[in-house]
Amino acid sequence: MEHEFQPEQIKHKYFTPWVIVITLIALAGLAFLAVRYLFGLGAVTNLTQFFPWGIWIGLDVAAGVALAAGGFTTAALGHIWHRDKYEVLVRPALLTALLGYTFVALGVVTDIGRWYYVWHPLIMWNGNSALFEVGICVMVYLSVLYIEFLPIVTERFIGRVNLPGFLSMFNKIIDSLLRLLDRTLNKFMFVFIIAGVVLSCLHQSSLGTLMIIAGEKMHPLWQTPVLPLLFLLSAFSVGFPMVIMESLSASKSFGLKPEKDVLTSLSRFVGPILGIYLAAKIGDMFIRESFVYLTELTLPSIMFTIEIVVGVVIPLRMFLSSSVRQSTTGLYIASMLVIFGVVLNRFNNFVIAYNPPYTETSYFPSIGEISVTLGFIALEILIYRAFVMIFPIISLPVKSALRKTKYAIKGV
Amino acid sequence: MGELNRRNFLKTLGVAGATISGIPANKLLAQSKSDLSEDRMGVLVDTTVCIGCRRCEWACKTAHDIPAGNLEDYSDESVFENMRRPANDAYTVVNRYENPADPRSPLNVKVQCMHCDHPACVSACIVGAFSKEENGAVIWDTDMCIGCRYCMVACPFQVPTFDYDKAIQPNIHKCDFCFERTKEGLLPACVEICPVEAITYGRRRNLIEVAEKRIELYPDRYVNKIYGFTEVGGTSWMYLSSRNFEELDFPKLGDKPAPGVSESIQHGIFAYFVPPIALYALLGGIMWISKNKDNKGEGKE
Amino acid sequence: MKTYIKISIILFTFLFFSFPFPAIAQDHSQLKFNCSLCHACETPTKSNPCLIVCPREKMMTVYMSPAKSPAVIKMDKLKSVQDLYEPVIFSHRIHAEMSEMSGGCEMCHHYNPPGDVVGCDNCHESGRQRTDISKPDLKGAYHRQCMDCHQEWSNNVACESCHETNESGKSAYTVKDYQQTRVHPEIKVPTKLVYNTTHEKGKLVTFFHNEHTDIYGLDCKSCHQQESCAKCHSTEPEKKVEKVSLEVKHKNCSSCHDTKVKTGCASCHSSKEMAPFNHLARSGFNLKSYHSKLNCTSCHQSKSVFTGLNSSCQSCHSEWNSSNFNHKVTGLILDEMHVEFDCGDCHESEDYSKKPSCEGCHDDMTYPANKPGKLVK
Repeated sequence: MEHEFQPEQIKHKYFTPWVIVITLIALAGLAFLAVRYLFGLGAVTNLTQFFPWGIWIGLDVAAGVALAAGGFTTAALGHIWHRDKYEVLVRPALLTALLGYTFVALGVVTDIGRWYYVWHPLIMWNGNSALFEVGICVMVYLSVLYIEFLPIVTERFIGRVNLPGFLSMFNKIIDSLLRLLDRTLNKFMFVFIIAGVVLSCLHQSSLGTLMIIAGEKMHPLWQTPVLPLLFLLSAFSVGFPMVIMESLSASKSFGLKPEKDVLTSLSRFVGPILGIYLAAKIGDMFIRESFVYLTELTLPSIMFTIEIVVGVVIPLRMFLSSSVRQSTTGLYIASMLVIFGVVLNRFNNFVIAYNPPYTETSYFPSIGEISVTLGFIALEILIYRAFVMIFPIISLPVKSALRKTKYAIKGV
Repeated sequence: MGELNRRNFLKTLGVAGATISGIPANKLLAQSKSDLSEDRMGVLVDTTVCIGCRRCEWACKTAHDIPAGNLEDYSDESVFENMRRPANDAYTVVNRYENPADPRSPLNVKVQCMHCDHPACVSACIVGAFSKEENGAVIWDTDMCIGCRYCMVACPFQVPTFDYDKAIQPNIHKCDFCFERTKEGLLPACVEICPVEAITYGRRRNLIEVAEKRIELYPDRYVNKIYGFTEVGGTSWMYLSSRNFEELDFPKLGDKPAPGVSESIQHGIFAYFVPPIALYALLGGIMWISKNKDNKGEGKE
Repeated sequence: MKTYIKISIILFTFLFFSFPFPAIAQDHSQLKFNCSLCHACETPTKSNPCLIVCPREKMMTVYMSPAKSPAVIKMDKLKSVQDLYEPVIFSHRIHAEMSEMSGGCEMCHHYNPPGDVVGCDNCHESGRQRTDISKPDLKGAYHRQCMDCHQEWSNNVACESCHETNESGKSAYTVKDYQQTRVHPEIKVPTKLVYNTTHEKGKLVTFFHNEHTDIYGLDCKSCHQQESCAKCHSTEPEKKVEKVSLEVKHKNCSSCHDTKVKTGCASCHSSKEMAPFNHLARSGFNLKSYHSKLNCTSCHQSKSVFTGLNSSCQSCHSEWNSSNFNHKVTGLILDEMHVEFDCGDCHESEDYSKKPSCEGCHDDMTYPANKPGKLVK
C-alpha cells in the first residue's frame, strides 16, 4: 500500500445545483407522504383489491434491502475475512446500509395500513410467515447497524464535546460516557458484526420466500422454490457493485480522487458471484422448463430477458474483463448495470410477475407512489451527504504521518 | 424428466438456497402439523340449485352490520351483467353463468372465502392475525392486524379485501363463516336465509358423502368433480356444478396446500435456529482464523 | 301329550301374530305395484320396512284427480316470528291441473306410500340445522318444487312473486281469490298437426293428435312429461333451438314408432298431408265389426312398437274350437248337422277369410251357393 488512509469528515459546500434538485424531489415525496398519512393509501396509490402490493414493497422495500447488501458483504470481507485493504470501504458501505434499512423501515411503515402497529411483530409471532421473518430480521439488523455505527459517533465526539452555554458543565461527563461506550463497544463489536452478516443472509433469502406463497398467481418465469437462493445470490452479487458505485459517485461529487486500486481489486469478486447467480437462475429455468414462456412476446418475457441480459450477462462479461475493471468508467457502468439488474429483478418479482385472477386491469404505479419512492431515494442521498460531512466516513490519504489510525478498524 | 425427480431436485436446491450451512433435509420437507378437527363444518354449494335470488348477500350484510339496503332491491338481476367479487362491503356475491345444457336455468355461483383447510392467509400473516378455527372458519383478528396485505397476496382465491380509503384503522374484510353466529349455535346467515338450500351446512366429511352421492345419482346433472375437495389441500366450502369449474371462473389449483412450499423453506431456515447459529459459528471461526493469519502476515510485512 | 301341547302353542302363536297382519296386507294387496318400488328387501316387515333410501323419486301409490284435490293450501308449516315473508297461499288445484298436462302429481308428490296423501314435512325436516343433510330441509324442498318451473316460466324468482313481505300484513293472494275465480282454462286438444320438417324426401309429417289419445289410448303424460311449464307459460319468445340430433328430434315418437331404420321414414314423412289412420290401408287387415271396436293394445300387446301381427285367427284366438266358438258371430248359424264338425273340416286353410270348402263330404256342393246353416241379419 502506497498510502495510509484515514476516515475524515469531508469539507465541502453542502448545496450545489444538483443537491437543490434532489431536495425538491425529496420535498415532493414528503408532500405525497403527508397525503397518504392523512387520507389513507387509496388517496395516493394505485393499489387495488387485486394488486395489494406496488412499488413501495417492490422497490422501496425489496430492492432497498437488496441494495443495502453492500453493508454486510463489505463487513464480511473487511472484518470477518480481515482483508484490511477494503477497510476504507466499510464505513461508507455501513452508512449506506444504515440509511438503506432506515428507509426500508420507513417504506414499510408507509405501506402498511396501520403504521402505528408496526411494532406488533415484536410480540405477535408467526413462525410460518416469511414476512414475519423478514420483519424481525430487518428490525434486529437495523438495530445492529446502529450499534455498528456508534463507534463512528464516539470517534467524532470524544474529546470534542462542546455544548453551548450552561450545558457545557456536562461536557466532561458526556465525554467520559462516550469513552466508556467506545471501550465497551470495542470489546463486543465482533458479536454484532457476525450477527449482522447472519441476519442479512437470513432476511435477504426470506425476502425471496415472500412471493412463493402467491403460488399460481405468480408468473412461472419467476415463481420457483429456489427463489430464496436466487434472492440471496443476487444480494451477494449486488453488494460490491453498490459499494463501487457509491464510492465513485462520492468521489465525483466531492471532487476527490477515486480509490481506484481498492475498487478494482474489489471488483474481482463480482464476476464469479454474478456467474454463480446467473448459473442458478438459468439452471432453475431449465429444470422447471419455464423457458417456454420466453418464446412468446409478452411483458413478462420481455422484462425477464432485460433482467437477465442487461442486468446480469452484460455486467458479468464486463466484470470478467480486466480492462473494464481498470477503468473508472467501465467499473461505474458495470456496477450500475448490476444494480439495475437486481432492482429490476425485485420489481419483476413483486410487480410484473404478480398476476392475480379476476381482473383484466394491471397495476401501474401512481404519480404519488413514484414521487414517494423517488423522495425516499433523494432523502437518502441528502442524509448521506450530510453524514459524510458530519462524521468521519470516507477515508482520505493521510498527509502528515504514516501511522495506523486508532479508530479505523473497529471490532476485533 | 420425471415430475418426482424434478421436485426432489428443486427441494434440494431449496435446501441449499434456504441455508448456507447444511441442515437436515427432512426438516425442510416436513409439512406443517395438521390439527384440523374431524368434525369441522363446511358448506356444499350446489350451483345447479341456486336461483340467484341474492338473499344471501342481504343476509350476510345484515349479519355483519354492513348497510344492506332494501331486500326488494336484491331482485334486480342487472347486477349479473358484470362479474363481481367479494368487497369491503360485500363478503359474498353471486355471479350468474350461462347453462348451455338448459338455457332457462342459468348457473348461479355464490362466491365468498373458501375457508381453506390449510389457509395461505393464516400461514402468511406476519402477526398471526388469521386463524383456522376448530369449526372450520378462517377468521381475522382486528386487534392484531398491521394492514400489510400479505394475506391478499397469498390468497389463492383472491378473497381478502382492504380499506384503502381509511387513514386510521383500515380493516381486512372477508367472510368469517359467521363465526359469531355459529358460536351461539346459529347458522351462518347466508345458509339460514337461502330459500332453496342451495348451500348445505354440515360436517365437511358428511358433505363430501352427500356430494358424491348426488354426482352418482345424477351423472347428467353434475360434472364429476367436487371443487374444494382437494384444491389447495381442501376447503371448507365446496361446490357442485354442471359445467367445468374453470368456465365458472374458479381458479385451477393443485392439491397441495398453498402455504406448503413457503412453510417448508421457512421451517428449513429456522429449524430450531440451528442453521442461523451454525452460520454464526462458521463466520466466527473464519473471523478468528483470518485474524490470526492477519497478525502473522503483518509480522512478515 | 307334550307334542300336542307344543303344536297347539305353535299354532296359537302363529295365529296370534298373523292376525293383525291381514289388515295391512289387505291394504297392500290392493296395490298394483311391484314391492321393489318402495322396499329394498324381499320380505319387508312392519318393524323393518326397509324402505328405499332417498331420493325416493317417482314412488307414488296414491293418485287423486285434480278436481278432488284441495283448491288452495296455505303453506304455513314453517311460520316463525322472524319470517321476512308471509306464508304462501298455494293454488294447489290449478297447479294440479297443469301438472296433468305434463308430469302428473309426482312432479311434486314424488313419494307417497299407500294411505293418505303425505305432505313434504313427512320426510323433509323443518329445521335447517339437522343431522341428516342428504335431503333438503322443508324450506329448501318447498322452494325447489316451485323454482324449477317458475324460473323457466317467468324467469322471475323474486320472493315477492309468491310471498308478500311481512310488514304489509297480508299475503300476495288470498284463499278467496283462488276458490272463486281461478281455475285452469280448458285445454284445447288439437285433432291434427302438420309439421314442416327438413327431411328431403318428405317434408310433411301429419300428426293426428286425436288418434294418439283416442285410439291408442295415450294420456298427456306419455308424451308431454318432459315438457316444462314454459312450453305454455313462457314470457320469453322461444329461443331458436340449436342443431339437435335426429334422435332428440324423434324422441317423442320413437317410444312407439321405429325411427331408427332409414326405410321407416316414409311411414310418417311424406310430401303431402297424410290421411287419418286406416288399418286396412296400413296393414292389409280390415277391421270389421268386432275388431273395429277393439283397443289397439288388445291385439298389439307388445308395448313399445306396433309390429304387424299374423293375420290368422288362431294366432290370437288359439283357444277357440268347434265346441266353444259361437259361429253366430260370423253371421251364420250352423245347422244341427254341421255344428258337430271340427273347424278344420270346412275351413281347410288357417285363413278363415277364405271361403270354406264342402268337398270333404259333398261332391256337388260349394259355398256360398249352399250354406251349412242359416244366415242371420
